[in-house]
Amino acid sequence: MLLPTGKLPLSLAAFTACALLCGTSALAQDAFNCPATGGDLIVGMEASMSSLDQHTNTSSATRNVAMNIFETLVIRDEEMNPVADLADTISVSDDGLTYTFTLREGVSFHNGKPLTSADVLASFDRYRDVGINRASLDVVEGWEAPDDMTFVITLVRVQPTFLESLSSYTVPIVIMPAEEAAKPAGQIDPIGTGPFEFVEFVPDSHVRLARYDGYVPNETLPELSGFAGRKQACVDTVTFRMLTEPGARMAALETGEIHIAENVPTVSQERLANTEGVELLRLQNFALNIGYPNWSAPPTDNRLVRQAMLAALDMEEIMEAATDGAYELNASFQFPGQGYYSTAGEEFYNQADPDRARELLAEAGYNNEPIVLLTNQQFPSMYNSALVMAAQLQAAGMNAELRVLDWPTALATSEQETQGWNFFYTFWATVTAQGGPTSLRNLADPNNVYKPVDNVGDPDFNAAFDAIEAGETIEERREAFARAQEIAFEEVMAIPFGIMSNAQGIRTEVEGFVPFYNTRVSNVWFAQ
Amino acid sequence: MIGYTISRLLQAIPILLIVSLIAFGIIHLIPGDAATVIGGPSATPADLARIRENLGLDQPLHIQILTFYANLFQGDLGRSLLLGIPVTEAVLARSPITIGIAIYSLVLTIVFGLATGIIAALNHNRWIDQAATVFALIGVSLPNFWLALVMIVLFSVHLGWLPTGGYVPFTQNPIGWFRTATMPAVALALLQAGLLTRITRSTMLEVLSQDYIRTARAKGISEWRVVGRHALANVMMPVVTVLGLILSVLLSGSIVIETIFGIPGIGALLGNAIASRDYPMIQGGLFFITAALLLLNIVVDVLYTSLDPRIRVTGGK
Repeated sequence: MLLPTGKLPLSLAAFTACALLCGTSALAQDAFNCPATGGDLIVGMEASMSSLDQHTNTSSATRNVAMNIFETLVIRDEEMNPVADLADTISVSDDGLTYTFTLREGVSFHNGKPLTSADVLASFDRYRDVGINRASLDVVEGWEAPDDMTFVITLVRVQPTFLESLSSYTVPIVIMPAEEAAKPAGQIDPIGTGPFEFVEFVPDSHVRLARYDGYVPNETLPELSGFAGRKQACVDTVTFRMLTEPGARMAALETGEIHIAENVPTVSQERLANTEGVELLRLQNFALNIGYPNWSAPPTDNRLVRQAMLAALDMEEIMEAATDGAYELNASFQFPGQGYYSTAGEEFYNQADPDRARELLAEAGYNNEPIVLLTNQQFPSMYNSALVMAAQLQAAGMNAELRVLDWPTALATSEQETQGWNFFYTFWATVTAQGGPTSLRNLADPNNVYKPVDNVGDPDFNAAFDAIEAGETIEERREAFARAQEIAFEEVMAIPFGIMSNAQGIRTEVEGFVPFYNTRVSNVWFAQ
Repeated sequence: MIGYTISRLLQAIPILLIVSLIAFGIIHLIPGDAATVIGGPSATPADLARIRENLGLDQPLHIQILTFYANLFQGDLGRSLLLGIPVTEAVLARSPITIGIAIYSLVLTIVFGLATGIIAALNHNRWIDQAATVFALIGVSLPNFWLALVMIVLFSVHLGWLPTGGYVPFTQNPIGWFRTATMPAVALALLQAGLLTRITRSTMLEVLSQDYIRTARAKGISEWRVVGRHALANVMMPVVTVLGLILSVLLSGSIVIETIFGIPGIGALLGNAIASRDYPMIQGGLFFITAALLLLNIVVDVLYTSLDPRIRVTGGK
């Protein structure tokens, strides 16, 4: 079965019925060409970046830069459909176990070397050895490069969502020259095939990229969509400046020292919206504000106590405090409009019912044991969520108390300790954006962020999760997702409080910039 | 003097080793490691195990500390877990940036602190004295991160005189260096200048009431000469003591200030290393700062003996 280029067919991409049609109509559009070229685009980053070794880094800051340098075999478009990138064609054997990728002709690395399947093979080998978040390879038996332009992956069992999984960009399997792939973690020279090549990296200061003149754009889609499609470097250079202090970053945007500012805090948005020469762009469904209980520590080891906590929560109050008003309530682990979106289990969401909570506590035999809410002050959304939730739990008769640590310590405590905490706060951005299986993977074996006893999770949930990945049709998978989500709500495996939006500020002379889950500088130009 | 200096330098070696051991113990007592930070909230236990193996964090603690000391004696502070470069290389590349701004800040501190303190003491109980006292109080009360942000709004956004942040090496463009280093240096200096004003003022008042000053004035020596030659020399002793402390505070204060202004110095390096549990970088950075402070203390002690020959120290000549 030879799959066409462009958005992959529904049986594999598993998204809305419009997906293929949208892709087809898009192909008929004129291909993007830079209306103007030149200039140094300066981006103010919200976080420091320590490495451009994309195989070994989960941080959004690394992706923001690296995904303009590197490319993958298959990547996601704007609607999160898997789309061929360095692959020209993808064919699947009739038994569904063998995926054959032929590479695009004429692609070269920034060092001038032509891309071959040997580089793809070496990159996959490296990802297997040092890569992080390798869930996409769990089902893979092996891979080979039978000729210079062909790469073959063999699976141990049929997984209809394999390309969806392979195109996940939490830690994307970027393709680098074989000689770079031979280097240890964190020690590569960042050489890719993307529209921008690496120039210099001064840690805690900036990263500079320049247009790669030998870039061969992917004609699969006529313009940039997600990380896919026809990309072009319109500006000569891009400087990513690390301006982690929000006040300083906003000031730099106001003075015109930077052209794009990541993550404009809510408190600055009104002022910047009224600043001449500055425009605010919003990514409405940016992240889920979420937390999860600890199933191993009393009293949250008791299902009824967890349900009492959920019953007591008023999500509007929590989200208002967490985001200063930039939120949407959402009874789902997906964003509205996504292929897997479901409201199954919504009766458990936003109950704001302290009386019901008290009934459940009485039934549980709750005896005023402390409920420790583990949070941090680095991320105000997490801290404020914990503050409001503590007050709501207390009002419903629970002995809630805060434990405030710095982010790495809180995260490590939630990962490594099964005692000393009862509820942990975080947010899921790319995890949620990438669709059904990815959004619930953290609740399935062996991830189990909610710390079930002996790390063995809820069997019904695990079965439903397996069905999401293994369902042959999109309908089967959606049904499995809804079932899994309902279990997650009912058993209180995690509590999604709501959706946080994200605002980015740009100077008005910048054209073509579209906010996404990561910063993309292709197809962005300066107004003449 | 030479013997004394050598003796102090030798004494510093065990202190350095002990400090690095304590630092090692403390950072390993805190939950979380670089693997947790790199892996993020979605990392599986298998992911974390692999990251630890890649980074060498799966080794027993005693092996890790022995490896650290073995490498240290060969002049190797290890390799940063996150930056992937030798710690020594990172520290050496960043230290001139921090030291340059710290010296600039120290100069501002001395000029403003000493001048204001002396003028206040010479105008004791007059309005100038009270104004200087208020300046000193404001200086020691304002958090430097707040002052930094206010300066950015005032001098960058509203007046457009200085850039909001960033760093230009002095060797590349001296004017650019002054433009990027001035706000960080002032933000760091104000608190210290306030402190120095108070100490200089009180010491000067005490010195001015001494008999030898009265004698000098009775001899008809000009007031400038009395202050400049006789009083100031005796004010310098406590001031030199405080300057050592001030420089150490300037170095530690650089963590916040460099982060706000986006300056790639030792402070930002160490701050990020702590946040990401980059053990070799934390140990290497602390080792460097400890060594710098020990050296500073030795310099101050040596200066004592130069400033006041009455001081005799063990081993001194």
